[in-house]
Amino acid sequence: MVFQIEISRINTSNVIWVDYYSTTVKWNQVLHWSWESELPLECATHFVRIRSRVDDARVPEPRFWSNWSSWKEVNEQNSLGHKASSVFPVDKLVEEGSNVTICYISRSHQNNVSCYLDGVRMHVEQLDPNVSAFHVNNVAFVRETGTNIFCEMDPKDDAGTVLFVSKVLEEPKDFSCETQDFKTLHCTWDPGSDTSLVRKQPYQSYTLFESFSGEKRLCEHKNWCDWQIAQDSQEMYNFTLVAENYLRKRSVNILFNLTHRVRPMTPKVFFKNISATNATMTWRVHSTGNHRTLLCQIELHGEGKVIQHNASIKVNGEYLLSELEPDTQYMARVHCGDANHFWKWSEWSGENFTTLEAAPSEAPDVWRDVKSELGNRTVTLFWKPLSKSHANGKIRFYNVIVENLDKPSELEPVPIPAPANHTKLALDQCSYRIHVTANNSVGTSPASVIVISGDPGNQVEEERVNVTADGFSLSWKPQSGDVTGYVVEWCDRPQDGSCDLQWENLGPNTTSTVISSDAFRPGVRYNFRIYGISTKRIAYLLEQKTGYSQELAPLVNPQVVMSNLTSHSFTLSWKDYPTETQRSFIRGYHVYLKPKEGQCHPGFEKAALSDNSVCCKYKIDKPEQKTFVVENLQPESIYEFFVTPFTSVGEGPLDAFTKVTTPDEHSHLLIRIILPTVFCVVLIMIVCYLNSQWMKEKCYPDIPDPYKSSVLSLIKSKENPHLTIMSVKDCIPDAIEVINKPEGSKIQFSGTRNSLTETEITKPAYLYLLPAEKNYSGPGPCICFENFTYNQAASNSGSCGHVPVPPTAPSQRGLLTSLENLLKALEKNYMNSQGEIPAGETTLNYVSQLASPMSGDKDSLPTDPPVPALCSEYKMQMAIPLGLASPPLSENSSVSSVTLLDQGDHHH
Amino acid sequence: MLACLCTVLWHLPAVPALNRTGDPGPGPSIQKTYDLTRYLEHQLRSLAGTYLNYLGPPFNEPDFNPPRLGAETLPRATVNLDVWQNLSDKLRLTQNYEAYSHLLCYLRGLNRQAATAELRRSLAHFCTSLQGLLGSIAGVMAALGYPLPQPLPGTEPTWSPDPAHSDFLQKMDDFWLLKELQTWLWRSAKDFNRLKKKMQPPAAAVTLRLEAHGF
Repeated sequence: MVFQIEISRINTSNVIWVDYYSTTVKWNQVLHWSWESELPLECATHFVRIRSRVDDARVPEPRFWSNWSSWKEVNEQNSLGHKASSVFPVDKLVEEGSNVTICYISRSHQNNVSCYLDGVRMHVEQLDPNVSAFHVNNVAFVRETGTNIFCEMDPKDDAGTVLFVSKVLEEPKDFSCETQDFKTLHCTWDPGSDTSLVRKQPYQSYTLFESFSGEKRLCEHKNWCDWQIAQDSQEMYNFTLVAENYLRKRSVNILFNLTHRVRPMTPKVFFKNISATNATMTWRVHSTGNHRTLLCQIELHGEGKVIQHNASIKVNGEYLLSELEPDTQYMARVHCGDANHFWKWSEWSGENFTTLEAAPSEAPDVWRDVKSELGNRTVTLFWKPLSKSHANGKIRFYNVIVENLDKPSELEPVPIPAPANHTKLALDQCSYRIHVTANNSVGTSPASVIVISGDPGNQVEEERVNVTADGFSLSWKPQSGDVTGYVVEWCDRPQDGSCDLQWENLGPNTTSTVISSDAFRPGVRYNFRIYGISTKRIAYLLEQKTGYSQELAPLVNPQVVMSNLTSHSFTLSWKDYPTETQRSFIRGYHVYLKPKEGQCHPGFEKAALSDNSVCCKYKIDKPEQKTFVVENLQPESIYEFFVTPFTSVGEGPLDAFTKVTTPDEHSHLLIRIILPTVFCVVLIMIVCYLNSQWMKEKCYPDIPDPYKSSVLSLIKSKENPHLTIMSVKDCIPDAIEVINKPEGSKIQFSGTRNSLTETEITKPAYLYLLPAEKNYSGPGPCICFENFTYNQAASNSGSCGHVPVPPTAPSQRGLLTSLENLLKALEKNYMNSQGEIPAGETTLNYVSQLASPMSGDKDSLPTDPPVPALCSEYKMQMAIPLGLASPPLSENSSVSSVTLLDQGDHHH
Repeated sequence: MLACLCTVLWHLPAVPALNRTGDPGPGPSIQKTYDLTRYLEHQLRSLAGTYLNYLGPPFNEPDFNPPRLGAETLPRATVNLDVWQNLSDKLRLTQNYEAYSHLLCYLRGLNRQAATAELRRSLAHFCTSLQGLLGSIAGVMAALGYPLPQPLPGTEPTWSPDPAHSDFLQKMDDFWLLKELQTWLWRSAKDFNRLKKKMQPPAAAVTLRLEAHGF
């Protein structure tokens, strides 16, 4: 029979599906046919009807369709229940990539319906006033809690649903089974994607079927499952692994012989008989049944290398690991596989072990640095640490034996603890042989021998070295005779004074090498010394080379001194740089000159400087030339010069120019005349000054000598033939006048206090003389002298001439005589202020100017005038004989500048 | 006068405000409970963000406000202001205790259904903190002499998926659970702040007594 089925949606006339179903029918049989609507049935009323026709060749034509059944209505809208609105389908589970139609049903008529799929607004189609729907093609997995669909409308009536989109279940990959003990088969696979969904679909299940035994096992784990091997020693297995979730099943199948799926168990490893160079490795593989032959791989890891060995065993394995390095950590491991039907290697099993130490196998590489000082030599021995392969263990100390070759002496080793790499020896001028050995816990290395000769060695010329991209390329002349090798020596750090001595040993047939070092820096000069080593182990300096790994332009310019400046030339000179500070080989110097005019002097050429200024340049090609004479200059002109070294990589920095002005052409003549003239004048002035007193007396004395005067002879002859010249010695002085020469105005002292006060203020040069009174009982008289040392006029004996001498007063002679005596006494006392009183003048009233003679207390000051203040002034101390003290003069007899005070005015 | 002053000094140790060595009362435990509610508020803000992202849009959208369909069983935190102000201390504390008892059960159910380990860890941590809050409230009630409300046997609230509920409604319930919990924590902070102020000892007690005696 064939059945025709029609499905209508919303109304019967809207047929949306026609299908045919053919089957053989039996009497009273119930047939089933299903159809899944794209639109959830809850979203719209569906109608279905059916009719049939005989579809049998035995029934002759025409065959007619039966009548249609009546329409059967499928109305799921009742599922809205008590809710005002709903979204369908509810919690539908679909696979990724499916197409889904969603509808939104509400009791009220829908207006402004908005639907969102995981937050994204969808285009909604209204099926009827209460139903809206939208279609989603190729849905994607978003999250395990499902994709939310949410619809809302006006008036507010929200509803939603969750569409569970599952990832597509994948076929298990890499499915395989193996056994280690013939008891259990361990099957593993890669499950692929997780198709679980929260509260909807659990993780996909895995089931293992074995077709020969017909047994089945639900696996508890996602990616492995154990299968118990039956006791009847089943050899062949046919496994089917079925992965399943709510939406689909996937399966994979394997067929195998059990003996071909044997993976041996992980071996257990041990080491024994470990020596410096050998070790025995043993291992055991637990039973895999029937004592099968196993192929094992042994790997030895050490010193960055891997060595592989193979061994065939039954259960226990043993392998001798030989040719090992002493004191080295190794790791040896082993894994095994079935030798007959190899399936898989077992897990690796390994252990670390360390070989024992052995005596060092090589002599240390030794070199020396010899410094001679005051007949003694300081020898610094350097040695390089032995490489690990030669040290054969931890070097604990180095033994140094110094053997005097000139005077046999006892050899005593000096141990130097490692990791020291040098030692200093103080040696005399004898020759010494030095042995150095390295020692570890097991033994001593061969000795390294070096001889320090008493001969100070030869000096060689320094040559420049070639530099290549690989380093300093050194070559030397081959030495004939007994050279056993060569040593090239240099300092890695000459720039900071630490040197860091380096050396390289080279064979006797080598005459060149390339020296490179990470320590080499551009702009640093490196010196290389090449030594030949004789058969007696004596090092002879053969060649000395110097060079830069990369030359750099100079950083400094020389300090230039200008000399011999004339109106037409000047000389520039400078000193050499220290070699260590040179950043490259100096090839010469450039002298830059800015001339007065634009023209350059002969020999100079125009050059542009780095600051784009133009000046004249003179090139000195000889680096040893350190002077330069700039000639052909104009007198009284300004020139600017600047000297800089130049090298292969450029010249020094552009410094400031030094200015020089050439002198006038005749200036040197003037200097030759004026200087001697000035000198002569000064000399004459000095001579005149030194002899000024003598000159004065000779040329223009203050008191002319009457005996030398021609006037006297005239008077004698004409007026009075008895007239004679009065001698000062015959005069008796009764008063002394001291002239206060410096003061412009002379003050007449009236002996009053007021006048005295005025005197103090003006401070004239004065002398107080008091009459000598033996019975004077008051305070001792004070004699104050002006310090004539600083009053040249007063101290001059010629000042006496100012004393008025009346010609008719013979008594005045005595005064003058006394005055002369006094002046003599004064002169003496200039030199001897104390204790040197001339004989016959013993009666002196001496008053110290510094000691106050007043003994009164301060309270009496108002009634006792502060006269001592007059005495406390600093004045030259002098003594005056009392006998010379004159009685007070009457006011009439006093003259200007003469003051003799009475006692009543001065209280001393 | 002197006798009065002596009497006052004799009675000073009896003044509660000055008796520092005595029972501190419920004040400190109320303060601790208040602090705990603030801490949980902060903790829940982070947890809710993670969980709502796990549910997906529209639940993690800030303006999402779905109808409270299946969440009717949740204890409501919102209450009329007058009613809230007139709540007795006992009733206030009882409501808090009962609410968190229910919410804690629901939250544990939520934890059991969480799919990711990280989310389960966060939920479990929050449950522990909430358990602490519950204990703290119980401590305050005990300090004030109020009995703990006893749950009726067989009425243990559960938060298991209702088979009749669609998954969307389940998610809405989860959403409301977190929202209600947030509201309750906010309300509890207010509740315990109010209690804290109420339980503070009157500082003016000494002054008043002195005035009464002396002058």
